[in-house]
Amino acid sequence: MRTTDAEGTGTETTVPGTNGNGTAGTGGAGTSGAVTGSAAAGKAARAGRRKQAAAAEERPVLARFPRPARLAGYTLLLAFALLYALPFLIQVATSFKTDPEAASRPLSLLPEAPTTAVFEKLSGSGEAGDGVPFTRWLGNSTLVTVVVTLGRVLFDSAAGYALARLRFRGRALLVTFVIAVMAVPPVVLLIPKFLVLNTLGIFDTYTGMIVPLLFDAAGIFIMKQFFESIPREVEEAARIDGAGIGRIFWYVVLPMSRPALITVTLLSFQGSWNEFTHFLVATQSSDYETLTTGLARFVSGGLGAGTQYPLKLGAALLSTIPVAVLFFCFQRYFIRGANAGAVKE
Amino acid sequence: MFRRSAVAVTACAVLAATTTACSSGFDKNENGPEQDTGKGQSLRVLVAVSGDAETKAVKKATAAWEKKSGHKVTVQLAKDIDQQLAQAFAGNRPPDAFYVNSDQFANYAKGGSLYAYGEKVPDKEDFAPQLRKAFTHKGELVCLPKDFSTLGLVVNTEKWKEAGLSEKDYPDTWDELEKTAAKLTKGKTAGLVTTNEYQRLGVFMKQAGGWITDSSESKMTADSKENAEGLGFAKKLLRSGSMKYAKQVDTGWAGEALGKGRAAMIIEGNWLAGAMKQDFPDVDYKVLPLPEGPAGKGTLAFSNCWGVAKESTHQKAAVDLVRHLTSAKEQLASSDAIGVMPSRESVMDEFAKEHPESAGWAEGDAYAQSPVTVPGFTKVLDQFNSDLQSLSTGKPATILSTLQRNGEQALKKGD
Amino acid sequence: MSTSTGTPAPPSTAGRPGPSPRSRFASRGTRGREGLWGWLFVSPMVLGLGLFMALPIVMAAWVSLLNWDGQSNPFTPDADFVGLANYRSLLAEDGLARTLLATSLRNNTYYVLLTVPLQTALSLTLAIVVNQRMLRGRSMLRTTFYFPSVTSSIAVCTVFLFLFQGSGAVNQLLGYVGVKGPNWFADPRGVLWVLLEAAGVIDGEKPGGFLAEHRLMGLPWSEWLAGPSVAMCTLILLAVWTTSGTFMLIFLAALQNIPRELEEAAALDGAARRHVLRHVLLPALRPVMFLVTTLGLIATWQVFDQVYVLGQGDPANTTLTPAFLSYSYGFDNAEFGQGAAISFVLLAIVLLMTGVQRVLLRERGSRRPRRARGRQAQDTPEKGAVRAHD
Repeated sequence: MRTTDAEGTGTETTVPGTNGNGTAGTGGAGTSGAVTGSAAAGKAARAGRRKQAAAAEERPVLARFPRPARLAGYTLLLAFALLYALPFLIQVATSFKTDPEAASRPLSLLPEAPTTAVFEKLSGSGEAGDGVPFTRWLGNSTLVTVVVTLGRVLFDSAAGYALARLRFRGRALLVTFVIAVMAVPPVVLLIPKFLVLNTLGIFDTYTGMIVPLLFDAAGIFIMKQFFESIPREVEEAARIDGAGIGRIFWYVVLPMSRPALITVTLLSFQGSWNEFTHFLVATQSSDYETLTTGLARFVSGGLGAGTQYPLKLGAALLSTIPVAVLFFCFQRYFIRGANAGAVKE
Repeated sequence: MFRRSAVAVTACAVLAATTTACSSGFDKNENGPEQDTGKGQSLRVLVAVSGDAETKAVKKATAAWEKKSGHKVTVQLAKDIDQQLAQAFAGNRPPDAFYVNSDQFANYAKGGSLYAYGEKVPDKEDFAPQLRKAFTHKGELVCLPKDFSTLGLVVNTEKWKEAGLSEKDYPDTWDELEKTAAKLTKGKTAGLVTTNEYQRLGVFMKQAGGWITDSSESKMTADSKENAEGLGFAKKLLRSGSMKYAKQVDTGWAGEALGKGRAAMIIEGNWLAGAMKQDFPDVDYKVLPLPEGPAGKGTLAFSNCWGVAKESTHQKAAVDLVRHLTSAKEQLASSDAIGVMPSRESVMDEFAKEHPESAGWAEGDAYAQSPVTVPGFTKVLDQFNSDLQSLSTGKPATILSTLQRNGEQALKKGD
Repeated sequence: MSTSTGTPAPPSTAGRPGPSPRSRFASRGTRGREGLWGWLFVSPMVLGLGLFMALPIVMAAWVSLLNWDGQSNPFTPDADFVGLANYRSLLAEDGLARTLLATSLRNNTYYVLLTVPLQTALSLTLAIVVNQRMLRGRSMLRTTFYFPSVTSSIAVCTVFLFLFQGSGAVNQLLGYVGVKGPNWFADPRGVLWVLLEAAGVIDGEKPGGFLAEHRLMGLPWSEWLAGPSVAMCTLILLAVWTTSGTFMLIFLAALQNIPRELEEAAALDGAARRHVLRHVLLPALRPVMFLVTTLGLIATWQVFDQVYVLGQGDPANTTLTPAFLSYSYGFDNAEFGQGAAISFVLLAIVLLMTGVQRVLLRERGSRRPRRARGRQAQDTPEKGAVRAHD
């Protein structure tokens, strides 16, 4: 599956000539391509000849739609894409509006009188930022996310390696156990988790927020499947050289696992940054509020606080940015994550 | 085989050891926790505020006490105080002092989460008797009433004039209320705005001569004719479009609707005064007593007390803080800032003198009904509030009979 | 996003040879060391998952048998043991708890029934469109469709809350085309009654008569049949909007795995576009479609974050779901026993869905080799994976 996925994303990077302008894989090999500039077309054609095999793969099976249908199709598609993007654009615009403007012109993308009051208030320099201790939320979210991500990468890869490669008694049982755990829906664990945290005396502490998140069955599986795809010969060679299991894992296997490690890192980051229900039941005092719990309580509760939409949307916007940046930089890995474990045998 | 069972046994042992060895959050000492008696204690206070005005007032008052006592106070603002307190009590990490709403008081007192300090306060007799009664459990005054409020009819004077109405037109009866509300409904402005909860709409039930329970709260009286008449009137207003819920006009509460001009009249309590001063200082309004129903006048009264946690390690300091916050001087100060009425009888006169504009609320003291305080009743009343949300399409009698049924079950369970 | 993901089925190990036969280099010594290292590597995971996944369930099972108000220690002999009373009041006794559970089941059923087909159809359409090799800017489009899935559910809900206000952006847009939008989050009317009212069949009052007087699990039939409320419809829209990107990627991966020869053969035979779609693509996608549907079924029963932010069950309990009801019984009302009992009812529902998925998968698995040769390896991986978006 990874190979095919690479066709979708990969060709764009490996054959820049054919699709530098985003026409993903129209190819120059003969079809009346959309590239009209003569130089570009020539270049594309040359590149196309060079990569004839790849280009053939990219040639559409069926004839293109007639022009009017194509235009209509693009319009419809664009409108649809707008439906997906518009909420975020409105969010950005609204966070620069004043309260009255947000209420009177909710749809406009250009604030009449742009103001950064929201961000001043969120950064704590504005007046009455009491109800929204944004910097505190940000600090808590960052701390928890960083620790959880580091921990998960370590534990997931260790456990994944053991389940994939090491032979020991009870391994099959453990695999079943992990599968069973993955079948437990997280929302039924709300009260149960609270009971455990409380019994352990770590309710409403950073420990209680972090430790339960360190163990994540899905990540273990991603790592396990990746390790199974690594040729055994590599390890055997190291073993002949006298390396122990710990050394092989650390110095041979892990360095080879960069793609999977990056995927797990990103997924852990995104998962713990966006985590809500666990923090909701693991903490109580506002000292431990994260971006998700703080924002959720701020948005859902607080009679008398008024609607304050610019402030709410601004806070939501800032809390989205880190994941958004990672997403746009490492999109490939996110997509792999969505199809994770998609490792060829 | 031996190895696997050995591993299993070890794992179980480790698990058991960790669960028992750690200090469990459930363990409580019979006599409460060991008290911190040192200097410079650090106290956590959890409050549910009505807006920025109240936040500021509370912070100012605690800051003054910090200076006086040398202790430190962190004020935390609850977004949902019932949920946060429930979780804090269960997690054994309650704040040292906190607001206790009168309708939650019985739950906490019965569960043993409150430190009963009321009897140790020398001037407790100064607090209004009906408030003291509301915060008494098993004959003991548990916590000191913070303040109290009643509901009134608040009109936006500008909208009033725009509609060509004068002071003579202030509604005194349901009929007049209905007519003026219809007259005031124009464009984006609704004539009357309130929230869909029995803590507001209950006034109509009261004015019709009914209420959810009998006066001793031992019997449900929800499905009475009077209650149906009261809700029927509210439904009539809703269906005519002259009364709207705050959410229907895109606001969080009725005060915001008043300030933003989305409401010409609202049913709200004293805390409105502080919020308006803070958020909408330019909006003029007038507070009136609620109009009379078929059974005369009726309003609802609300009160909070300052709870001190049984599990607090700073009980002495917390009680001292509460006594400071409920002193005559601080009560008057918070009346000025927030608008709520003092809980001490000795300063009530002064409040009335200083705040003539609040007379519409103050007179309600004489005939106000308190909310239901039966333990285990929260879910029943939540359900009632949800049903009220669809009052405009529902039947009052059906809603009330559901309430009657649910309430009777809760009463039976509580026995 | 919790809705975008489900509890994945176990990645099956079929088609994977498993660890290769023991190497002849391995001696007895390495074997012992492997055992040691193996347990060393998995011990944090075992301890962690045991402590925070398995133990909680055991504790909650105990608490669900108690009348516990959270203000004492439930793990002592003086806990108020009430046996199955919490389950009885949920399932057998006429009362508030049962009515609330019925309401939440009604709401969630409609949520599932609308969300799952919509998100499956939409994500399939998007995948087929984005997979067009001739399409310009398809990676841009893919990014756009996928982005909502990676953002935090809380942040996205905040945006929706703003967009769907009574005088918000959505209603303004609708106003341009002459439609007066409802006050989305404050409208508890069931869509069925709204439609009937619009058609002039009923007069805007809740229907009375037979439907209102007869009840199932304490909830009148008129309520069961009302359809999702207008407020619930926004939650459905939100779910479809946020999850379609993830499912689109799954479909996309499967589409790219369809051997070109199949399509080309069909094209050579002169098959029209819709025939290729119907006779080549859809049959080849059937396993993935099945996967997406079941993942959706499992995930939609667990909707919680959205409910928490968008109204906590309001208006009139029409957005209440079993997951939120359990939370609210426990943490709002301090009736932890009752709350835990609801958790187990929900667990039963979700496990039932998972079980159905497993059984059907197994049945399909035994038929598969004849139908689509060579794709066993392909559709196993995603199953373990979609979870990644939690």
